[in-house]
Amino acid sequence: MEAAHNLVLESFLFGILGVNWENRIVFLNQALANRLGISREEWIGKPVEGLGGVIEPRLTHAEAFRSGLIWQHEADTFKSREVDFVEGDHLLQFREDSCPLRDGSGQITGRLFTYTDISRAKTIDRMKTEFLAIASHELRTPMTSIKGSVDLILSGFAGDISGETHELLDIAQKGCDRLIRLINDILDLSKIEAGQIKLKLAPIDLVEVVQVSIRGVKSLADQQKVSLRLYRPEHLPEVEVDRDRLVQVVTNLLSNAIKFSPAESEVRVEISTGDGWLECCVADQGCGISPEDLGRVFGKFQQLGEKKRGGTGLGLAITQALVVEHRGKIWLESRLNEGSKFIFRLPIGKL
Amino acid sequence: MPLTRVLVAEDDPDIQTVIRMSLKLKGVKEITITENGEDCLAQVKTARPDVILLDVMMPRLDGYQTCERLKANPETQSIPVIFLTAKAQQFEIKKGMATGALGYLIKPFDPMTLHDQIVALLDQKGTA
Repeated sequence: MEAAHNLVLESFLFGILGVNWENRIVFLNQALANRLGISREEWIGKPVEGLGGVIEPRLTHAEAFRSGLIWQHEADTFKSREVDFVEGDHLLQFREDSCPLRDGSGQITGRLFTYTDISRAKTIDRMKTEFLAIASHELRTPMTSIKGSVDLILSGFAGDISGETHELLDIAQKGCDRLIRLINDILDLSKIEAGQIKLKLAPIDLVEVVQVSIRGVKSLADQQKVSLRLYRPEHLPEVEVDRDRLVQVVTNLLSNAIKFSPAESEVRVEISTGDGWLECCVADQGCGISPEDLGRVFGKFQQLGEKKRGGTGLGLAITQALVVEHRGKIWLESRLNEGSKFIFRLPIGKL
Repeated sequence: MPLTRVLVAEDDPDIQTVIRMSLKLKGVKEITITENGEDCLAQVKTARPDVILLDVMMPRLDGYQTCERLKANPETQSIPVIFLTAKAQQFEIKKGMATGALGYLIKPFDPMTLHDQIVALLDQKGTA
């Protein structure tokens, strides 16, 4: 049986590394040994720190890599990170996943690392984003002519227009605006997902971010006759985030909540804090979401319910991607006809 | 302060028309349209514009290079330049502003507020 296990581990194309409680290497498969250019037999039983030293010249962030290999009392967690590795003239990108290594009785005896070459996937991702950037530019140009012409006709600049013409041009104008939002959202999401946005991190006051976001959606709330209320604790630690991106997150959640709220209802924003985190909850009194739809909410181009709400279908996907980019998490609590609560949590301190 | 003379460099004829009409609507008297950066540089002295609107992607000489040349020439360096372009990514905006431009407006623009946006940018920098 053990021989069969070993055969399987040796046949994998990705690298596998096992480290015990004393941070010594207990397993290293041939794929990883070949990739690192080391002799496997020589390294079994040796401190993993030494392995870091051997491959350091080929790593772009050697120190961070080495420290990540050392067991830091986080035995029961699953972790994933990307590692850049220089091979000849090429920069290879690997995803390192790690999890607890257990013995036959389920006891944790160390940590298991796997290394998957994601260079090709990353290249394709970059190509996709570049393509979308070019497509976005090319789409904007004819959109400028269409929107510009429709806006000018609607202004009466080119002469009087009848009520029906006005109505039809209004439809065209709304369609243009929606298409522009869609172009912007597709490009934005693609860049976030490809890890191509740089967060401008600075300590901020979450309350100020929420207040700015509330001001931004005030007119939408007034139109829908929805009131907005903020509940906050007296003292709140600062959190290190990209302010503009966090405003985008809160604004998305607020406008979503408003769109799904009945007239004369309330959207509540509650900020709270706990051990090492800050939380923001946006709660509406809308129609809620059925259990079978809960899993689809953060998906792309998902519009739940029968009524079209005029969004791009990407707002919550972007919101989720931005929260995750800040190493936070976002989730939804909802029951049909009882409203929805979107809650995101951010870690306090440096990212 | 309303604008009097505007020089535009834009290679798309449809967008040229929209820009011209949108500025005319707000009372701009002289609107000079050029097709690319080279023509823009050639006409800047006779047009004597209050502001230059530059597209980025243009044949012969793109908007970035055009702005750099305008800013390198003592005779034209004081004329405010505003980009009006579909290049909407952060690094493109940064690149445009690094050439010495006063502002960066993204297409599609609102033809009803284009004039006011330009004036607001000029006012902000105290150049109007």
